[in-house]
Amino acid sequence: MDAHELSIQQAHELLLSRKISSEELTGAYLARIQQLDAQINSYVTVSEELAKKQARDADQRLKRGEGITPLTGIPYSAKDSLSTRSVRTTCSSKILENYKPFYDCTAIQKLNSAGTVLLGKTNMDEFGMGSSTENSGFFTTRNPWDFDHVPGGSSGGSAAAVAAGLGLFSLGEDTGGSVRMPASFCGVTGLKTTYGRVSRYGLIPLVSSFDTIGPMARSVYDVALVLEAIAGHDPKDSTSRVEPIQQYSRALKKTENLRGLRIGIPREYFVEGLDPEVDSSLRTAIQQIESLGAEIVEVSLPHTQYAIPVYYLILFAEASSNLAKYDGVRYGLSERDVNSVLDLYLKTRESGFGAETKRRIMLGTFALSAGYYDAYYLKAQKVRTLIRQDFQKAFETCDALITPVAPTTAFKIGEKITNPLDMYLSDVHVVAVNLAGIPALSVPCGISKGLPIGMQVMGPHLSEETLLRIGHMYQRQTHWHTKHPPVWGDSP
Amino acid sequence: MSSKAELQVDEKLVREIASLARLDLNQEEAEMFVSQFKDILDYVSILNEVDTENVPPAYLSSVNKSAMREDTIQDSVSTEEFLSNAPQSKDDYVVIPRVHMEQ
Repeated sequence: MDAHELSIQQAHELLLSRKISSEELTGAYLARIQQLDAQINSYVTVSEELAKKQARDADQRLKRGEGITPLTGIPYSAKDSLSTRSVRTTCSSKILENYKPFYDCTAIQKLNSAGTVLLGKTNMDEFGMGSSTENSGFFTTRNPWDFDHVPGGSSGGSAAAVAAGLGLFSLGEDTGGSVRMPASFCGVTGLKTTYGRVSRYGLIPLVSSFDTIGPMARSVYDVALVLEAIAGHDPKDSTSRVEPIQQYSRALKKTENLRGLRIGIPREYFVEGLDPEVDSSLRTAIQQIESLGAEIVEVSLPHTQYAIPVYYLILFAEASSNLAKYDGVRYGLSERDVNSVLDLYLKTRESGFGAETKRRIMLGTFALSAGYYDAYYLKAQKVRTLIRQDFQKAFETCDALITPVAPTTAFKIGEKITNPLDMYLSDVHVVAVNLAGIPALSVPCGISKGLPIGMQVMGPHLSEETLLRIGHMYQRQTHWHTKHPPVWGDSP
Repeated sequence: MSSKAELQVDEKLVREIASLARLDLNQEEAEMFVSQFKDILDYVSILNEVDTENVPPAYLSSVNKSAMREDTIQDSVSTEEFLSNAPQSKDDYVVIPRVHMEQ
């Protein structure tokens, strides 16, 4: 078995029994990235020196038998919006092209304590603004299943890296589907965590009230192992949840069936515009989940059609505020051939931001400006309340809800990039979850014309364990998560 | 939400917003944004259908009460580290272009 074919658990067992060292495992991944990533473009930065050092440290730990966790010595990647000490953190924006944070975000710090190995930072739509990684300020990541197609976004680099075997897992970030949609398009498992379950400290913000860090891996079990390591309260993030984290992986081992769970199917998510093959894959998956003992009922989330306009109006507003700090003064790009401070701001922001980022900053500035605030931002926040109430009502009778992740499989590179509104509409099934702050899991459930299909399992706040149990039982019965793209077989 | 008749999306409006957002748009961008803004604002006007009388806005995503902590001295980054990303610095200060011009 090649190194890239291992699951986290298998790699952990080999590391424990000293059949492989972390240095060897890391070396194999670095070689594979070197060989394959020129075609896929999933990494913005490969942190080779740091990875080798962390691997040697992990081997020391394993040798001493002290402080070993299931992730000790495991090589992974992280989306480039997560601050990493002394490793370039760009958000795939020219404005941060050479920015090196002097601290690690809490999630990375926790992984460091667990003894993991950071292979590098993955490509994304600039600051998370997009659904395809085509809005990266550097290059477009290709879908490992078909290089003519997008990997989804905005955590497209993370999903592509996991799918192509360029890391055992990745930390993604989900503002409005940015973990789930690329996971679905690339055939990997991704978890959007409950808002506040994972600290946002050191995560470069897009929309502070939506942003969540979440794991992406090749199985639900591996996702559970990563979640255990990164979740928990952090005094440095006042919005992080204080409830204790669960032993997610232990709960999965004890799960035998889904008896006693009632799962709702929201009818508004199975309507016109849904690809017939996505629809039939979902129907089959729902039947399989029913055969595992869950009760399936139809439910309604009546305000679903308003989720996209509400999401984008709030995003525009919060993003324009969050991006005001990029001014060329303290860090990042700085256009110095200028006559005044105002000129410094204007020229730096003009040359540093891409078209989609400018568009959203402009729309947000407009939505927050005098005379329009009530009509746009306040209205959106009120409808957001109604969307949250839809979910609260559904969860009074259901433990979880199942929907498609996206209405189609991965679209072609270039297909939607010239029409921003068309691109926004591809997020139709994922954004409501962020408006409500609830968790949702994306699990592969089919393949259509060589491209993966994803199932979304949503639950109430802090229901990660239930969602993982449903996904894990589904993966024990099915093989979709074990399917790999054509590049999988290529070895260095 | 403003009615479409009230809101005139033209280059003048786009330029005003760009100035507030500190963006120095070129002509091509300004023209592109005029047409795209019309489409996007037209699309979001679907929210006018929703009756939000007596519905409170959902500003806060967090369930936490205001988080307080002890006011204790903790380690912080050094000035040197902080300035390591500064485009230009001198004597522990960040350097920017002149704010006031000499006559």
